[in-house]
Amino acid sequence: MIGVLGSHLMSGGHHIKEFMGMLSHTLTSIFRPPIRIKETFQQLFFVANGSLVIVVFCVCFAAMVTILESSFHMKIVIQNDSMVPGFAAMLILRELGSVVTALLLTSRVGAGMSAEVGLMKITEQVDALKMLGIDPVQYLVVPRLFACIIGATILTIVADITCIYSAFVISEAYLGFTPALFLTAMRRFVDFQDLIFSMIKGAAFGSVIPLISCYYGFRCKPGAEGVGSATTNSVVASSVAIIVIDFILSYIFSHFY
Amino acid sequence: MVKQASFYSLMSEIGGALLFLREVLRTLVTKPCSLHEVLLQIWRVTIQSFSTTGMAGFFVGAIMTVQFALQMREFDAMGYLGGLATSGTIREVGPLLIAFMLSGKVGAYTSAELGTMKVTEQIDAIRCLGADPIQEIILPRFIGIIVSSFFLLGLGLIMSILGGMLMGAFFAGVNPEEYIRHIPTIVTFPSIISGLVKCFVFAVVLATICTYRGYSTSGGAKGVGLSVVKTAVATMVGIVIADWMTSFLGDVVMKLVLGA
Repeated sequence: MIGVLGSHLMSGGHHIKEFMGMLSHTLTSIFRPPIRIKETFQQLFFVANGSLVIVVFCVCFAAMVTILESSFHMKIVIQNDSMVPGFAAMLILRELGSVVTALLLTSRVGAGMSAEVGLMKITEQVDALKMLGIDPVQYLVVPRLFACIIGATILTIVADITCIYSAFVISEAYLGFTPALFLTAMRRFVDFQDLIFSMIKGAAFGSVIPLISCYYGFRCKPGAEGVGSATTNSVVASSVAIIVIDFILSYIFSHFY
Repeated sequence: MVKQASFYSLMSEIGGALLFLREVLRTLVTKPCSLHEVLLQIWRVTIQSFSTTGMAGFFVGAIMTVQFALQMREFDAMGYLGGLATSGTIREVGPLLIAFMLSGKVGAYTSAELGTMKVTEQIDAIRCLGADPIQEIILPRFIGIIVSSFFLLGLGLIMSILGGMLMGAFFAGVNPEEYIRHIPTIVTFPSIISGLVKCFVFAVVLATICTYRGYSTSGGAKGVGLSVVKTAVATMVGIVIADWMTSFLGDVVMKLVLGA
Protein backbone atom coordinates (compact mmCIF):
# COMPACT_ATOMS: atom_id res chain seq x y z
CA MET A 1 0.00 0.00 0.00
CA ILE A 2 2.66 2.47 1.09
CA GLY A 3 4.89 1.25 -1.72
CA VAL A 4 2.16 1.93 -4.30
CA LEU A 5 1.54 5.38 -2.83
CA GLY A 6 5.26 6.09 -2.84
CA SER A 7 5.66 5.08 -6.47
CA HIS A 8 2.71 7.28 -7.40
CA LEU A 9 4.31 10.22 -5.59
CA MET A 10 7.63 9.51 -7.28
CA SER A 11 6.07 9.47 -10.73
CA GLY A 12 4.18 12.68 -9.91
CA GLY A 13 7.43 14.36 -8.93
CA HIS A 14 9.04 13.09 -12.11
CA HIS A 15 6.18 14.57 -14.17
CA ILE A 16 6.55 17.94 -12.50
CA LYS A 17 10.32 17.95 -13.00
CA GLU A 18 10.02 17.14 -16.71
CA PHE A 19 7.22 19.66 -17.18
CA MET A 20 9.31 22.37 -15.54
CA GLY A 21 12.18 21.45 -17.88
CA MET A 22 9.95 21.92 -20.91
CA LEU A 23 8.55 25.17 -19.49
CA SER A 24 12.01 26.68 -19.02
CA HIS A 25 13.05 25.49 -22.49
CA THR A 26 9.96 27.17 -23.97
CA LEU A 27 10.50 30.42 -22.09
CA THR A 28 14.13 30.69 -23.17
CA SER A 29 13.37 29.87 -26.81
CA ILE A 30 10.76 32.66 -27.02
CA PHE A 31 13.61 35.14 -27.28
CA ARG A 32 15.71 33.23 -29.82
CA PRO A 33 15.75 34.85 -33.29
CA PRO A 34 13.62 32.99 -35.84
CA ILE A 35 10.21 34.33 -34.86
CA ARG A 36 7.63 32.24 -36.66
CA ILE A 37 4.90 34.74 -37.43
CA LYS A 38 3.19 32.62 -40.09
CA GLU A 39 2.79 29.54 -37.85
CA THR A 40 1.56 31.75 -35.03
CA PHE A 41 -1.18 33.19 -37.21
CA GLN A 42 -2.15 29.75 -38.53
CA GLN A 43 -2.51 28.51 -34.96
CA LEU A 44 -4.39 31.65 -33.97
CA PHE A 45 -6.88 30.96 -36.75
CA PHE A 46 -7.32 27.38 -35.51
CA VAL A 47 -7.67 28.41 -31.85
CA ALA A 48 -9.82 31.51 -32.06
CA ASN A 49 -11.78 31.38 -35.29
CA GLY A 50 -12.46 27.66 -35.11
CA SER A 51 -13.78 27.79 -31.55
CA LEU A 52 -15.82 30.98 -31.83
CA VAL A 53 -19.19 29.40 -32.65
CA ILE A 54 -19.12 26.67 -30.00
CA VAL A 55 -17.85 29.06 -27.30
CA VAL A 56 -20.58 31.61 -28.03
CA PHE A 57 -23.27 28.91 -28.13
CA CYS A 58 -22.34 27.19 -24.86
CA VAL A 59 -21.59 30.37 -22.94
CA CYS A 60 -24.88 31.94 -24.00
CA PHE A 61 -26.73 28.95 -22.63
CA ALA A 62 -24.72 28.95 -19.38
CA ALA A 63 -25.61 32.59 -18.76
CA MET A 64 -29.33 31.93 -19.24
CA VAL A 65 -29.23 29.00 -16.82
CA THR A 66 -27.33 31.07 -14.24
CA ILE A 67 -29.73 33.99 -14.19
CA LEU A 68 -32.89 31.83 -14.19
CA GLU A 69 -31.57 29.61 -11.39
CA SER A 70 -30.40 32.41 -9.14
CA SER A 71 -33.68 34.25 -9.54
CA PHE A 72 -35.56 31.02 -8.68
CA HIS A 73 -33.56 30.55 -5.47
CA MET A 74 -33.69 34.18 -4.41
CA LYS A 75 -37.46 34.09 -4.71
CA ILE A 76 -37.61 31.01 -2.45
CA VAL A 77 -35.55 32.53 0.34
CA ILE A 78 -36.12 36.28 0.44
CA GLN A 79 -39.05 36.76 -1.95
CA ASN A 80 -37.02 39.41 -3.75
CA ASP A 81 -34.89 39.06 -6.86
CA SER A 82 -34.15 42.71 -7.56
CA MET A 83 -30.40 42.26 -7.18
CA VAL A 84 -30.18 39.19 -9.41
CA PRO A 85 -28.85 41.01 -12.54
CA GLY A 86 -26.02 42.46 -10.50
CA PHE A 87 -25.04 39.11 -9.05
CA ALA A 88 -25.35 37.40 -12.40
CA ALA A 89 -23.14 40.00 -14.11
CA MET A 90 -20.59 39.71 -11.31
CA LEU A 91 -20.57 35.92 -11.54
CA ILE A 92 -20.25 36.08 -15.34
CA LEU A 93 -17.31 38.47 -15.31
CA ARG A 94 -15.46 36.93 -12.35
CA GLU A 95 -15.87 33.22 -13.06
CA LEU A 96 -18.23 31.99 -15.71
CA GLY A 97 -16.98 33.71 -18.86
CA SER A 98 -13.33 32.83 -18.49
CA VAL A 99 -13.66 29.36 -16.94
CA VAL A 100 -16.29 27.99 -19.33
CA THR A 101 -14.37 29.37 -22.32
CA ALA A 102 -11.17 27.78 -21.08
CA LEU A 103 -12.82 24.39 -20.44
CA LEU A 104 -14.30 24.39 -23.95
CA LEU A 105 -10.94 25.35 -25.44
CA THR A 106 -9.32 22.51 -23.51
CA SER A 107 -11.42 19.84 -25.10
CA ARG A 108 -11.32 21.32 -28.57
CA VAL A 109 -7.90 22.93 -28.93
CA GLY A 110 -5.96 21.05 -26.25
CA ALA A 111 -7.07 17.63 -27.46
CA GLY A 112 -6.27 18.60 -31.06
CA MET A 113 -2.80 19.86 -30.14
CA SER A 114 -1.79 16.83 -28.11
CA ALA A 115 -3.09 14.46 -30.81
CA GLU A 116 -1.18 16.40 -33.49
CA VAL A 117 2.10 16.63 -31.58
CA GLY A 118 1.78 13.04 -30.39
CA LEU A 119 1.30 11.85 -33.95
CA MET A 120 4.36 13.85 -35.06
CA LYS A 121 6.33 12.24 -32.26
CA ILE A 122 5.40 8.63 -33.06
CA THR A 123 5.83 9.06 -36.82
CA GLU A 124 9.33 10.43 -36.04
CA GLN A 125 8.66 13.86 -37.51
CA VAL A 126 9.97 15.41 -34.29
CA ASP A 127 13.25 13.52 -34.76
CA ALA A 128 13.34 14.72 -38.38
CA LEU A 129 13.03 18.32 -37.16
CA LYS A 130 15.91 17.77 -34.75
CA MET A 131 18.00 16.33 -37.56
CA LEU A 132 17.38 19.44 -39.66
CA GLY A 133 18.75 21.53 -36.81
CA ILE A 134 15.35 22.94 -35.84
CA ASP A 135 14.50 23.00 -32.16
CA PRO A 136 11.14 21.15 -31.92
CA VAL A 137 10.10 23.08 -28.82
CA GLN A 138 10.71 26.38 -30.55
CA TYR A 139 9.07 25.24 -33.78
CA LEU A 140 6.00 23.58 -32.24
CA VAL A 141 5.35 24.95 -28.77
CA VAL A 142 6.17 28.67 -29.01
CA PRO A 143 3.74 29.56 -31.86
CA ARG A 144 0.99 27.55 -30.16
CA LEU A 145 1.69 29.27 -26.85
CA PHE A 146 1.41 32.77 -28.32
CA ALA A 147 -1.62 31.88 -30.42
CA CYS A 148 -3.43 30.34 -27.47
CA ILE A 149 -2.71 33.28 -25.13
CA ILE A 150 -3.98 35.83 -27.67
CA GLY A 151 -6.90 33.65 -28.77
CA ALA A 152 -8.08 32.80 -25.26
CA THR A 153 -7.95 36.48 -24.20
CA ILE A 154 -10.04 37.57 -27.18
CA LEU A 155 -12.47 34.68 -26.78
CA THR A 156 -12.90 35.49 -23.08
CA ILE A 157 -13.91 39.07 -23.90
CA VAL A 158 -16.33 37.83 -26.57
CA ALA A 159 -17.74 35.30 -24.10
CA ASP A 160 -18.22 37.98 -21.43
CA ILE A 161 -20.09 40.24 -23.84
CA THR A 162 -22.27 37.40 -25.12
CA CYS A 163 -23.01 36.20 -21.59
CA ILE A 164 -24.10 39.59 -20.33
CA TYR A 165 -26.16 40.24 -23.42
CA SER A 166 -27.98 36.90 -23.23
CA ALA A 167 -28.61 37.37 -19.50
CA PHE A 168 -29.96 40.82 -20.35
CA VAL A 169 -32.35 39.44 -22.98
CA ILE A 170 -33.55 36.50 -20.88
CA SER A 171 -34.13 38.68 -17.81
CA GLU A 172 -36.27 41.03 -19.85
CA ALA A 173 -38.24 38.23 -21.51
CA TYR A 174 -38.81 35.89 -18.54
CA LEU A 175 -38.09 37.72 -15.30
CA GLY A 176 -39.66 41.08 -16.15
CA PHE A 177 -36.68 43.37 -15.61
CA THR A 178 -36.66 46.48 -17.75
CA PRO A 179 -33.29 47.20 -19.42
CA ALA A 180 -32.74 50.23 -17.19
CA LEU A 181 -33.31 48.14 -14.05
CA PHE A 182 -30.87 45.52 -15.28
CA LEU A 183 -28.16 48.04 -16.08
CA THR A 184 -28.58 49.89 -12.77
CA ALA A 185 -28.33 46.67 -10.77
CA MET A 186 -25.34 45.64 -12.87
CA ARG A 187 -23.47 48.92 -12.35
CA ARG A 188 -23.77 48.59 -8.59
CA PHE A 189 -21.75 45.39 -8.52
CA VAL A 190 -19.54 45.40 -11.59
CA ASP A 191 -16.65 47.67 -12.40
CA PHE A 192 -14.24 48.07 -15.29
CA GLN A 193 -11.54 46.26 -13.34
CA ASP A 194 -13.65 43.09 -13.42
CA LEU A 195 -13.26 43.00 -17.19
CA ILE A 196 -9.48 43.43 -16.85
CA PHE A 197 -9.30 40.61 -14.29
CA SER A 198 -11.37 38.42 -16.60
CA MET A 199 -8.89 39.08 -19.42
CA ILE A 200 -5.97 38.20 -17.16
CA LYS A 201 -7.68 34.95 -16.21
CA GLY A 202 -8.31 34.16 -19.88
CA ALA A 203 -4.66 34.74 -20.75
CA ALA A 204 -3.47 32.56 -17.86
CA PHE A 205 -5.77 29.68 -18.84
CA GLY A 206 -4.75 30.12 -22.47
CA SER A 207 -1.08 29.76 -21.59
CA VAL A 208 -1.68 26.55 -19.62
CA ILE A 209 -3.52 24.66 -22.37
CA PRO A 210 -0.78 24.45 -25.07
CA LEU A 211 1.99 23.80 -22.53
CA ILE A 212 0.23 20.78 -20.99
CA SER A 213 -1.06 19.47 -24.33
CA CYS A 214 2.36 19.66 -26.00
CA TYR A 215 4.00 18.10 -22.92
CA TYR A 216 1.73 15.06 -23.16
CA GLY A 217 2.16 15.04 -26.94
CA PHE A 218 5.95 14.88 -26.66
CA ARG A 219 5.72 12.00 -24.20
CA CYS A 220 3.33 10.05 -26.43
CA LYS A 221 3.94 6.30 -26.51
CA PRO A 222 4.02 4.57 -29.91
CA GLY A 223 0.84 3.21 -31.43
CA ALA A 224 -2.70 4.46 -31.83
CA GLU A 225 -3.42 3.63 -28.19
CA GLY A 226 -0.62 5.98 -27.13
CA VAL A 227 -2.15 8.92 -29.01
CA GLY A 228 -5.55 8.23 -27.44
CA SER A 229 -4.20 8.08 -23.91
CA ALA A 230 -2.01 11.18 -24.45
CA THR A 231 -5.11 13.09 -25.59
CA THR A 232 -7.23 11.93 -22.66
CA ASN A 233 -4.52 12.63 -20.10
CA SER A 234 -3.87 16.10 -21.48
CA VAL A 235 -7.56 17.04 -21.36
CA VAL A 236 -7.91 15.87 -17.76
CA ALA A 237 -4.65 17.51 -16.63
CA SER A 238 -5.52 20.83 -18.29
CA SER A 239 -9.03 20.87 -16.78
CA VAL A 240 -7.63 20.26 -13.30
CA ALA A 241 -4.92 22.88 -13.83
CA ILE A 242 -7.50 25.43 -14.97
CA ILE A 243 -9.66 24.88 -11.89
CA VAL A 244 -6.66 25.16 -9.56
CA ILE A 245 -5.35 28.32 -11.28
CA ASP A 246 -8.86 29.79 -11.12
CA PHE A 247 -8.87 29.28 -7.36
CA ILE A 248 -5.46 30.94 -6.97
CA LEU A 249 -6.29 33.91 -9.22
CA SER A 250 -9.71 34.44 -7.58
CA TYR A 251 -8.00 34.53 -4.21
CA ILE A 252 -5.40 37.06 -5.41
CA PHE A 253 -8.01 39.29 -7.10
CA SER A 254 -10.27 39.24 -4.03
CA HIS A 255 -7.77 41.60 -2.37
CA PHE A 256 -8.40 44.27 -5.00
CA TYR A 257 -12.19 44.54 -4.72
CA MET B 1 -22.06 27.06 -50.80
CA VAL B 2 -19.69 26.22 -47.97
CA LYS B 3 -22.39 26.99 -45.42
CA GLN B 4 -24.83 24.72 -47.20
CA ALA B 5 -22.38 21.82 -47.40
CA SER B 6 -21.52 22.06 -43.71
CA PHE B 7 -25.22 22.21 -42.87
CA TYR B 8 -25.85 19.03 -44.85
CA SER B 9 -22.94 17.26 -43.19
CA LEU B 10 -24.25 18.31 -39.76
CA MET B 11 -27.70 16.94 -40.58
CA SER B 12 -26.29 13.67 -41.90
CA GLU B 13 -24.17 13.36 -38.75
CA ILE B 14 -27.23 13.76 -36.50
CA GLY B 15 -29.22 11.34 -38.62
CA GLY B 16 -26.36 8.83 -38.58
CA ALA B 17 -26.17 9.00 -34.78
CA LEU B 18 -29.93 8.45 -34.42
CA LEU B 19 -29.90 5.50 -36.85
CA PHE B 20 -26.96 4.04 -34.94
CA LEU B 21 -28.91 4.44 -31.68
CA ARG B 22 -31.87 2.62 -33.24
CA GLU B 23 -29.57 -0.19 -34.37
CA VAL B 24 -28.08 -0.53 -30.88
CA LEU B 25 -31.49 -0.54 -29.20
CA ARG B 26 -32.81 -3.11 -31.65
CA THR B 27 -29.81 -5.32 -30.95
CA LEU B 28 -30.47 -4.86 -27.23
CA VAL B 29 -34.00 -6.22 -27.64
CA THR B 30 -33.42 -8.99 -30.20
CA LYS B 31 -30.04 -10.45 -29.23
CA PRO B 32 -28.75 -9.17 -25.90
CA CYS B 33 -25.05 -9.53 -25.07
CA SER B 34 -23.70 -11.46 -22.11
CA LEU B 35 -24.09 -9.93 -18.66
CA HIS B 36 -20.44 -10.64 -17.87
CA GLU B 37 -19.26 -8.28 -20.64
CA VAL B 38 -21.52 -5.50 -19.39
CA LEU B 39 -20.29 -5.87 -15.81
CA LEU B 40 -16.70 -5.81 -17.08
CA GLN B 41 -17.32 -2.52 -18.89
CA ILE B 42 -19.08 -1.00 -15.86
CA TRP B 43 -16.10 -1.92 -13.71
CA ARG B 44 -13.58 -0.45 -16.16
CA VAL B 45 -15.38 2.84 -16.73
CA THR B 46 -16.08 3.35 -13.03
CA ILE B 47 -12.52 2.63 -11.93
CA GLN B 48 -11.08 4.93 -14.58
CA SER B 49 -13.18 7.97 -13.77
CA PHE B 50 -13.90 7.55 -10.06
CA SER B 51 -11.34 10.04 -8.77
CA THR B 52 -11.84 12.57 -11.58
CA THR B 53 -15.60 12.69 -11.03
CA GLY B 54 -15.29 12.92 -7.26
CA MET B 55 -12.85 15.79 -7.54
CA ALA B 56 -14.92 17.63 -10.17
CA GLY B 57 -18.01 17.36 -7.95
CA PHE B 58 -16.08 18.60 -4.93
CA PHE B 59 -14.88 21.72 -6.75
CA VAL B 60 -18.29 22.44 -8.31
CA GLY B 61 -19.88 22.39 -4.85
CA ALA B 62 -17.13 24.62 -3.46
CA ILE B 63 -17.49 27.19 -6.26
CA MET B 64 -21.29 27.29 -5.95
CA THR B 65 -21.01 27.83 -2.19
CA VAL B 66 -18.62 30.73 -2.63
CA GLN B 67 -20.90 32.35 -5.20
CA PHE B 68 -24.04 31.99 -3.07
CA ALA B 69 -22.14 33.19 0.00
CA LEU B 70 -21.39 36.49 -1.80
CA GLN B 71 -25.11 36.97 -2.46
CA MET B 72 -26.35 35.90 0.96
CA ARG B 73 -23.88 38.16 2.75
CA GLU B 74 -25.62 41.12 1.10
CA PHE B 75 -28.93 40.08 2.67
CA ASP B 76 -27.58 38.75 6.00
CA ALA B 77 -29.17 35.33 5.48
CA MET B 78 -26.13 33.10 5.84
CA GLY B 79 -28.22 30.38 7.50
CA TYR B 80 -29.79 29.48 4.19
CA LEU B 81 -26.43 29.08 2.46
CA GLY B 82 -26.34 25.27 2.72
CA GLY B 83 -29.80 24.73 1.29
CA LEU B 84 -29.34 27.24 -1.50
CA ALA B 85 -25.94 26.04 -2.65
CA THR B 86 -27.02 22.38 -2.56
CA SER B 87 -30.24 23.09 -4.42
CA GLY B 88 -28.45 25.15 -7.06
CA THR B 89 -25.84 22.45 -7.57
CA ILE B 90 -28.22 19.49 -7.75
CA ARG B 91 -30.85 21.06 -10.00
CA GLU B 92 -28.74 22.27 -12.88
CA VAL B 93 -25.10 23.24 -12.55
CA GLY B 94 -23.77 20.07 -10.93
CA PRO B 95 -24.93 17.51 -13.50
CA LEU B 96 -23.90 19.83 -16.35
CA LEU B 97 -20.32 20.52 -15.22
CA ILE B 98 -19.64 16.98 -14.00
CA ALA B 99 -20.96 15.60 -17.29
CA PHE B 100 -18.54 17.95 -19.12
CA MET B 101 -15.65 16.48 -17.11
CA LEU B 102 -16.89 12.93 -17.70
CA SER B 103 -17.24 13.52 -21.44
CA GLY B 104 -13.59 14.58 -21.59
CA LYS B 105 -12.53 11.40 -19.84
CA VAL B 106 -14.90 8.56 -20.75
CA GLY B 107 -15.97 9.88 -24.14
CA ALA B 108 -12.45 10.50 -25.40
CA TYR B 109 -11.20 7.14 -24.14
CA THR B 110 -14.06 5.12 -25.63
CA SER B 111 -14.01 6.77 -29.02
CA ALA B 112 -10.21 6.41 -29.21
CA GLU B 113 -10.47 2.73 -28.30
CA LEU B 114 -13.28 1.94 -30.75
CA GLY B 115 -11.63 4.07 -33.45
CA THR B 116 -8.37 2.17 -33.05
CA MET B 117 -10.27 -1.12 -33.32
CA LYS B 118 -11.96 0.15 -36.46
CA VAL B 119 -8.86 1.42 -38.30
CA THR B 120 -6.82 -1.70 -37.39
CA GLU B 121 -9.68 -3.76 -38.86
CA GLN B 122 -10.44 -5.66 -35.66
CA ILE B 123 -14.14 -4.91 -36.13
CA ASP B 124 -14.06 -6.41 -39.63
CA ALA B 125 -12.32 -9.45 -38.15
CA ILE B 126 -15.20 -9.94 -35.72
CA ARG B 127 -17.67 -9.71 -38.58
CA CYS B 128 -15.56 -12.26 -40.51
CA LEU B 129 -15.87 -14.70 -37.62
CA GLY B 130 -19.64 -14.58 -38.03
CA ALA B 131 -20.34 -12.46 -34.93
CA ASP B 132 -22.20 -9.16 -34.82
CA PRO B 133 -19.81 -6.35 -33.82
CA ILE B 134 -22.65 -4.25 -32.44
CA GLN B 135 -23.72 -7.09 -30.17
CA GLU B 136 -20.21 -8.08 -29.13
CA ILE B 137 -18.44 -4.73 -28.79
CA ILE B 138 -20.77 -1.75 -28.93
CA LEU B 139 -23.67 -2.96 -26.79
CA PRO B 140 -21.65 -3.83 -23.64
CA ARG B 141 -19.88 -0.46 -23.81
CA PHE B 142 -23.14 1.40 -24.44
CA ILE B 143 -24.91 -0.12 -21.42
CA GLY B 144 -21.77 0.02 -19.29
CA ILE B 145 -21.26 3.73 -19.94
CA ILE B 146 -24.89 4.55 -19.22
CA VAL B 147 -25.00 2.65 -15.92
CA SER B 148 -21.64 3.78 -14.61
CA SER B 149 -22.00 7.41 -15.75
CA PHE B 150 -25.33 7.60 -13.95
CA PHE B 151 -23.79 6.42 -10.71
CA LEU B 152 -20.65 8.51 -11.19
CA LEU B 153 -22.77 11.64 -11.65
CA GLY B 154 -24.65 10.74 -8.47
CA LEU B 155 -21.33 10.35 -6.68
CA GLY B 156 -20.25 13.75 -8.00
CA LEU B 157 -23.41 15.36 -6.61
CA ILE B 158 -22.80 13.81 -3.18
CA MET B 159 -19.19 15.01 -3.26
CA SER B 160 -20.44 18.48 -4.19
CA ILE B 161 -22.39 18.66 -0.90
CA LEU B 162 -19.19 17.74 0.94
CA GLY B 163 -17.17 20.35 -0.95
CA GLY B 164 -19.80 23.00 -0.32
CA MET B 165 -19.85 22.15 3.39
CA LEU B 166 -16.07 22.49 3.72
CA MET B 167 -16.01 25.74 1.74
CA GLY B 168 -18.93 27.06 3.79
CA ALA B 169 -16.99 26.36 6.97
CA PHE B 170 -13.73 27.94 5.76
CA PHE B 171 -14.91 30.77 3.51
CA ALA B 172 -18.28 31.83 4.88
CA GLY B 173 -18.01 30.78 8.52
CA VAL B 174 -21.13 28.61 8.44
CA ASN B 175 -20.52 25.56 10.60
CA PRO B 176 -21.36 22.15 9.06
CA GLU B 177 -24.38 21.44 11.29
CA GLU B 178 -26.01 24.69 10.27
CA TYR B 179 -25.07 24.06 6.64
CA ILE B 180 -26.79 20.67 6.61
CA ARG B 181 -29.81 21.75 8.69
CA HIS B 182 -31.31 23.86 5.91
CA ILE B 183 -30.75 21.39 3.08
CA PRO B 184 -34.07 19.49 3.58
CA THR B 185 -36.11 22.70 3.79
CA ILE B 186 -34.99 24.04 0.42
CA VAL B 187 -34.02 20.96 -1.60
CA THR B 188 -37.39 19.51 -2.52
CA PHE B 189 -38.17 16.09 -3.93
CA PRO B 190 -38.81 17.40 -7.48
CA SER B 191 -35.36 19.04 -7.46
CA ILE B 192 -33.68 15.72 -6.70
CA ILE B 193 -35.76 13.91 -9.31
CA SER B 194 -34.95 16.52 -11.94
CA GLY B 195 -31.23 16.26 -11.12
CA LEU B 196 -31.31 12.47 -11.44
CA VAL B 197 -33.28 12.60 -14.71
CA LYS B 198 -30.68 15.00 -16.06
CA CYS B 199 -27.87 12.64 -15.02
CA PHE B 200 -29.58 9.78 -16.86
CA VAL B 201 -30.20 11.80 -20.03
CA PHE B 202 -26.60 13.07 -20.10
CA ALA B 203 -25.35 9.49 -19.66
CA VAL B 204 -27.41 8.33 -22.67
CA VAL B 205 -26.20 11.27 -24.81
CA LEU B 206 -22.57 10.61 -23.86
CA ALA B 207 -22.82 6.87 -24.55
CA THR B 208 -24.53 7.33 -27.92
CA ILE B 209 -22.17 9.98 -29.26
CA CYS B 210 -18.90 8.38 -28.21
CA THR B 211 -19.77 4.88 -29.44
CA TYR B 212 -21.13 6.28 -32.72
CA ARG B 213 -18.07 8.45 -33.40
CA GLY B 214 -15.71 5.63 -32.49
CA TYR B 215 -17.57 3.10 -34.64
CA SER B 216 -17.65 5.38 -37.69
CA THR B 217 -13.95 6.35 -37.56
CA SER B 218 -12.02 6.13 -40.81
CA GLY B 219 -8.64 7.19 -42.16
CA GLY B 220 -5.87 5.72 -40.04
CA ALA B 221 -4.18 7.20 -36.97
CA LYS B 222 -5.02 10.76 -37.97
CA GLY B 223 -8.69 9.75 -38.23
CA VAL B 224 -8.59 8.48 -34.64
CA GLY B 225 -7.30 11.84 -33.39
CA LEU B 226 -9.91 13.68 -35.42
CA SER B 227 -12.72 11.52 -34.13
CA VAL B 228 -11.60 12.07 -30.51
CA VAL B 229 -11.79 15.85 -30.99
CA LYS B 230 -15.14 15.58 -32.76
CA THR B 231 -16.47 13.43 -29.92
CA ALA B 232 -15.52 16.04 -27.34
CA VAL B 233 -17.19 18.88 -29.23
CA ALA B 234 -20.30 16.89 -30.19
CA THR B 235 -20.79 15.60 -26.63
CA MET B 236 -20.59 19.08 -25.13
CA VAL B 237 -23.08 20.54 -27.60
CA GLY B 238 -25.32 17.46 -27.17
CA ILE B 239 -25.25 17.77 -23.39
CA VAL B 240 -26.10 21.48 -23.53
CA ILE B 241 -29.04 20.81 -25.86
CA ALA B 242 -30.22 17.87 -23.73
CA ASP B 243 -30.02 20.08 -20.64
CA TRP B 244 -32.20 22.69 -22.27
CA MET B 245 -34.71 20.05 -23.44
CA THR B 246 -35.00 18.42 -20.01
CA SER B 247 -35.43 21.80 -18.29
CA PHE B 248 -38.13 22.74 -20.76
CA LEU B 249 -39.95 19.39 -20.58
CA GLY B 250 -39.57 19.35 -16.77
CA ASP B 251 -41.23 22.76 -16.62
CA VAL B 252 -44.14 21.57 -18.76
CA VAL B 253 -44.60 18.40 -16.69
CA MET B 254 -44.44 20.34 -13.42
CA LYS B 255 -47.08 22.76 -14.66
CA LEU B 256 -49.34 19.90 -15.70
CA VAL B 257 -48.93 18.13 -12.34
CA LEU B 258 -49.34 21.25 -10.22
CA GLY B 259 -52.11 22.67 -12.36
CA ALA B 260 -54.19 19.50 -12.30
